Amino acid sequence: MKYHISVFYCVNSFDASMLDRLPFKDRVVFKPVKMACSSMVKDVYLLRAFEADADAVVVLVCPEGHCRYVEGNLRAAKRIDWLRRLLDEIGIGGVRLVLCHASSGRANAAGACFESMLTMLEAEGFSPARSRWGAGAASDQRRNGKPQR
Amino acid sequence: MRTPFASKLAALLAQGNFVVTAECGPPRGSDAAAVIQKGRLLKDVVDAVNVTDNQTAIVRMSSIAACRHLLELGLEPVMQMVTRDRNRIALQSDILGAYSMGIRNILCLSGDHQSFGSQPDAMNVFDIDSMNLVHAVRRMRDNGTDMSGFALKDSPRMFIGAAANPFADPFEYRVIRLAKKIDAGVDFIQTQCVYNVERFRRWMQMARDEGLLEDVHILAGITPLKSGGMARYMAAKVAGMDVPEGLIRRMEGVDKKAAPAEGVAIALETIAELREMEGLSGIHIMAIEWEAIVGDIVRAAGLTPRPTAALNRPAAGE
Amino acid sequence: MIVGEQKPISEIREIIAPYRRVLVLGCGTCVKTCFAGGEDETAVMASALRLSLKKDGLAGDIREWTVERQCEDEFIQEAARPAAECDAILSLACGAGVQMVARRFPDKPVLPGVNTTFIGVLEERGLFTEECAGCGQCKLALFGAVCPIARCAKKLLNGPCGGSRDGRCEVNPDTACAWHLIIERLTALGQLDNLRAYVPPTDWRTSLSGGPRKLIREDHRI
Repeated sequence: MKYHISVFYCVNSFDASMLDRLPFKDRVVFKPVKMACSSMVKDVYLLRAFEADADAVVVLVCPEGHCRYVEGNLRAAKRIDWLRRLLDEIGIGGVRLVLCHASSGRANAAGACFESMLTMLEAEGFSPARSRWGAGAASDQRRNGKPQR
Repeated sequence: MRTPFASKLAALLAQGNFVVTAECGPPRGSDAAAVIQKGRLLKDVVDAVNVTDNQTAIVRMSSIAACRHLLELGLEPVMQMVTRDRNRIALQSDILGAYSMGIRNILCLSGDHQSFGSQPDAMNVFDIDSMNLVHAVRRMRDNGTDMSGFALKDSPRMFIGAAANPFADPFEYRVIRLAKKIDAGVDFIQTQCVYNVERFRRWMQMARDEGLLEDVHILAGITPLKSGGMARYMAAKVAGMDVPEGLIRRMEGVDKKAAPAEGVAIALETIAELREMEGLSGIHIMAIEWEAIVGDIVRAAGLTPRPTAALNRPAAGE
Repeated sequence: MIVGEQKPISEIREIIAPYRRVLVLGCGTCVKTCFAGGEDETAVMASALRLSLKKDGLAGDIREWTVERQCEDEFIQEAARPAAECDAILSLACGAGVQMVARRFPDKPVLPGVNTTFIGVLEERGLFTEECAGCGQCKLALFGAVCPIARCAKKLLNGPCGGSRDGRCEVNPDTACAWHLIIERLTALGQLDNLRAYVPPTDWRTSLSGGPRKLIREDHRI
């Protein structure tokens, strides 16, 4: 079974075709969501991504100081911190929600972000809220220490 | 109009004595013996003993009860009363009760906030503030009425005290504050403990210049330091405290075992200077949980034996 | 505005546990401005609850709706249909709104999702502070528009206690000493002498101490 990763990005910060070129792409199903400004993505859409069975959610924003809307990426960072705490409270795990500073000029930054995301998923496993698994199966999975395929 | 002295402390001050008062904290329990033991250490070395009222918002035996125990031992209690825990109904009621048992002096305070104490989850009261309380006690004494205007049968005639901190407040405000307290009816003031004598002297000077010393008796607070750590802690953590760096270094400069003696030496030097200060009516020694040292300090300062007061206590039925 | 804070998810889960279909009802006024229960927060709460239930393998149907204000019946009525379709309503309004909604839908359990705290202002972005205690007899004219009832932890009327350090309150160094502010302000206005006047005890009958209060405006009762 593949990991589901939702990717919220804007054209200023990311070129989505890069997702097809990632070395581990066969282990992941990406759901890219293109926006005018990814910093402005509403909190509820990030949560709904998890409701729709995402195992992880990435928000790619412009590097600090480069936001077209001046403070957008700073606000996004604060809001995502808040959402991570909420996800911890719910028991999904805030580590699954990640903010990445990217720039289309340096594809490495985004690539590094996705790689560390994969490492995290291998440690955490599938989201405990995934419909296919339900509560019992998700905890079986964790007991064995490795995600089931 | 002044009524005849019912308070020994009032009488001593009126007769021009340099008075010595001390403090006693009631126990966290119902054992009267604990109070009596402290009382015995203070008997005959001080003129009056303040009994704290749930100090630091920690539940202790009530001030009124502990005052009664000290009274039976032959001491002159000053009942401290905070407005944190009781509304005006309870406060007035306790004043009536206290006077009925022979208590003649009251110190009116707001009180430490309950968040510091043993019951931070309690609701506080603060129905009235300490200045309202002073006003109410004075009204009982001089008008014979309670706060609702009711003419009390045998209205209590308390000697009224308040606290003052010469080391806090913006400077411009200090005169206003002191004057306001005196207008409200304060007879005597016990100050925050003095380490910076010069600064205290300036405050006294200011009070004198405003003519305030003619209407109130000021007692300077004294707290003997026990260690360098205590000196540093007070300087850094306690609000409104001025501990000169020189004194801290002096305390830190001696051996730990010798530190209490050094603290007492500093206290004695301070007392000596204060006795020379114009307009000062006495000292108030706050040696919390170190009551035994009070006698040593008073004797070493040459302040014993304590004077007897010519009392004019009203006979029963007057 | 009235300020409140959302209850933790774990507490809300316990509160809604007996009900299968729950309507999360938001309010577009006070709780929106303090980010506790506006439309966006309502959407997030509903989604968070769904995720939480999903994670525990529980069946549950969480719906969401927001009205302009939950303290006025004419706005609450707009939620009549979604309310009729649910087993219980989780209101994210202040405590007053929760109670008003319950009056409109007496056959539905109406549950609070927010802890209502104080009457306050937005001091700066993301910082709300308590300013008014609703004592019912405003004395701000005496104190240079700084309220000692709401902002002094001891409700002192005649000057500061001895506990403040560097202008901060003894209870919490993050809080300014209200009396320090009063003195500063009156000094700046050249009115420090105001503080010479004795302020008598407060008459608490006009406050909550006298029982829940009412305002009747005959000129508006038709």
